[in-house]
Amino acid sequence: MQPLVGLRVVEVGGTLAAGVATKRYSDFGARVIKVEPPTGGEIRRLAPFPDDRPHLDTGAMHMAFDTGKRSLALDLSTPSGREVLDRVLADADLLIAHQPVPELRALLRRVDSESGPCTVAITAHGLDGPYAERIENDLTLFGWSTRAHRHSVQGREPLRYAPQVGMIQVANTAGMLGLVAVWGRRQDGRRRDVEVAGVEALMGNVDSSFFLWAVNGAVQPRSAGLYRGIYPMGAYPCKDGHVLFSAARHPFFTNLCRVIGHPEAAFDPRFTDPSQRADHFEEFRAMLEPWLAVRTKYDIFHEMQEAGVMCAPVLDASEVMTDPQSVARRSYVTVAQPGPGDEPIEVTVPAAPYRMNGLHSDRWQAHAAPRLGEHTGEILDELGYSRDEQIALFRAGVTG
Amino acid sequence: MTTRALAGLRVVEMTEAWAGPVGASLLGDMGADVVKVESYPRSSMTRPVRPREATMPGDGPPYERDALHHQGNRNKRNVCLDIRTEGGAEVLRRLIAGADLFIEGYSSGTIERLGFGWDAVHEINPRACMISLAGWGVAGLYAGKVTLGAGLDATCGHMSVRGYPDGPMEDVRSNFHSDATGAATTVCAAITALEQRERTGEGCFTDFSQWEGLVWQFPGLLSEWTMNGRLPDRLGNRDPHIVPHGVYRASGDDEWVAVAAEDDEQWAALASALGHGEWAREPHAWATLTGRLRAREAVDRAITTATRERSAFDLAEAVQAAGAICAPVVSSSQVLMSPQLQAREWNHIIEHRWTGPAMVGGFLWQVEPDPLTWDRPTALVGEHNEEVLIELGYSAPEIADLLSAGAIADGYPQPGGAPRSPGLQRRAGDS
Repeated sequence: MQPLVGLRVVEVGGTLAAGVATKRYSDFGARVIKVEPPTGGEIRRLAPFPDDRPHLDTGAMHMAFDTGKRSLALDLSTPSGREVLDRVLADADLLIAHQPVPELRALLRRVDSESGPCTVAITAHGLDGPYAERIENDLTLFGWSTRAHRHSVQGREPLRYAPQVGMIQVANTAGMLGLVAVWGRRQDGRRRDVEVAGVEALMGNVDSSFFLWAVNGAVQPRSAGLYRGIYPMGAYPCKDGHVLFSAARHPFFTNLCRVIGHPEAAFDPRFTDPSQRADHFEEFRAMLEPWLAVRTKYDIFHEMQEAGVMCAPVLDASEVMTDPQSVARRSYVTVAQPGPGDEPIEVTVPAAPYRMNGLHSDRWQAHAAPRLGEHTGEILDELGYSRDEQIALFRAGVTG
Repeated sequence: MTTRALAGLRVVEMTEAWAGPVGASLLGDMGADVVKVESYPRSSMTRPVRPREATMPGDGPPYERDALHHQGNRNKRNVCLDIRTEGGAEVLRRLIAGADLFIEGYSSGTIERLGFGWDAVHEINPRACMISLAGWGVAGLYAGKVTLGAGLDATCGHMSVRGYPDGPMEDVRSNFHSDATGAATTVCAAITALEQRERTGEGCFTDFSQWEGLVWQFPGLLSEWTMNGRLPDRLGNRDPHIVPHGVYRASGDDEWVAVAAEDDEQWAALASALGHGEWAREPHAWATLTGRLRAREAVDRAITTATRERSAFDLAEAVQAAGAICAPVVSSSQVLMSPQLQAREWNHIIEHRWTGPAMVGGFLWQVEPDPLTWDRPTALVGEHNEEVLIELGYSAPEIADLLSAGAIADGYPQPGGAPRSPGLQRRAGDS
């Protein structure tokens, strides 16, 4: 039996962040009801789509992050929709919600402070304070959290990472907190309300230069990728692409010099003395790059790792799928996904990144993501709505 | 006293760098009793014995003042062991015997060689759960391979789509995104494993691949390839389906502002805030989504012309008030000017024995009714040796013997200094 069987989760908002947060639960057996607007929320509208044909049931983000959930299409802007939600919440252990803050506040007020579910609210700036009601997206979260500034070259446009990366990190933080809240309540009986502010979740974590600056006043140089003062750090060209080194320090640097046939360089003050090192970057590069140029990224990876050097191949999306480790670990799985036609479509999605009791255990599998409103009738049945009541809700556009 | 959601949970953490240590701190934030086991005589990467850029000002040894270490190790206790000695190994055995969770982060195969693989852990304590967070996972072909977050970013497809669209791969900066997300995923894995134990009564082993933790976040990159046979582009700040969506120059030198209008309503708000309401009025070509997509470069130029006149903070204020998405791109010093973080009193001042008071960033979330507190600043090497070993049943003379034998320690030898017995520093400081 999956570890989270019995956990009852309600996801509200239909956004990418809400979907990412609750995937942590549905992938391990929890019952997740995805309450979504009848018109389909953000996560269903994000590209890419098969053959670039947009469809509410076949967006890549939806198919990957909504695996194994049930969909209840419900218009929460009406009293009738909210009444259905109240009944859903009365039968839940955990609410994960990501909505505009005024709606979120109203939603949280509906949760019974004694018997209601634990809550995790996902926001950009928090539920209070002068910026609380600002709307942000992945790009502006990167702007506020100092990460875009760090991810840029002096004088040039600061950059985000790949699309949605910041939002997914915020959601991952929220997903973790839901599990903690439910665990805690079982231990001490206290119902907890958790609030994640995206800016704080990104800035308070690592991969931000804020902490270093705060404690040291150290302004991090915004140089291009290859570090010239301490090396090799960054991507270097090789025969068939690039390899990434994080090998500036002993013992990695010493080992690397040995591998490339320049063991003496590891003891040469031009390359080891911090006051001289930056002036001799090009000389070092001239020793390393010819060695790399005649070798493939995987050959370099294996040879360097064998010698104890932190080195990794730079892979693109196609190479990631065929990487021997990802094949050996079954890091991707296929799911038969309901598509626009009669036949399900076969979709490749990443497997859960952690698995209990051994990787090759057959206990873990992915299930299809739901069609919009696929489980509306079933859930309303469970909540005790008569068929006439269900038709009334449907006719008024409250459900879908 | 901090949030008590995880009160009573006993965690032994033996990880280095960031993902594991930060994950364990998050457990500590929620009330778990986390004991960090540090290695002796080898010191970890974030415990450098010589000063470096990240060394915080203050007295005391550099390995107690490393900012990269302080960033990931609040709310824990600390013991320092040489588990290659029988005395040190016995301490770890007793820790595991009383633990709910053992987290280790060495390269695949290392912990087995040290005698604390899953079989050994399960025998010591059948109820203990164990999480291994080797970079590329424990099972598979990459035993012994070592990496930091930057290497994982390179191998998951992310590095190939980051950076300036027109720039070479060499210009793409290393990042440590995997550490930031890996920490939260470690907590997810931990609670999921403990939930399994609740059902079975028996501890379980979790193989958490930090690399898979990253791949998990990029279904878009994957699907471009699997569904449409395309390798994803390096987009910079561009969104293929939203105009405007970018970072534009503001009035100051190297000052930037992030702007996006995801639909016509937000576009009208943005246009009016920039003093160009006509951009959103039909029949202006830019009044529609597709009109803006077709005129991407012209729209970007027009926005830059407007944003260059004003400061990023002012722009964000005006555009947000109108109802569109806008934020200044802030540096570490500028973010302190955020009225929002000030109003929420987000930053903390932390007292630490060797660094004195330091201002640090706040928590990743807030919780009611029992809010988070910073109960323990980053612990010194072996700071809780005595306290923890007494709890484990050691007597004072036994602890002294372990210390003088080098099985436990509370400091590292200084480079160039005379060899000294471990523990010297504590005694000198206390006398």
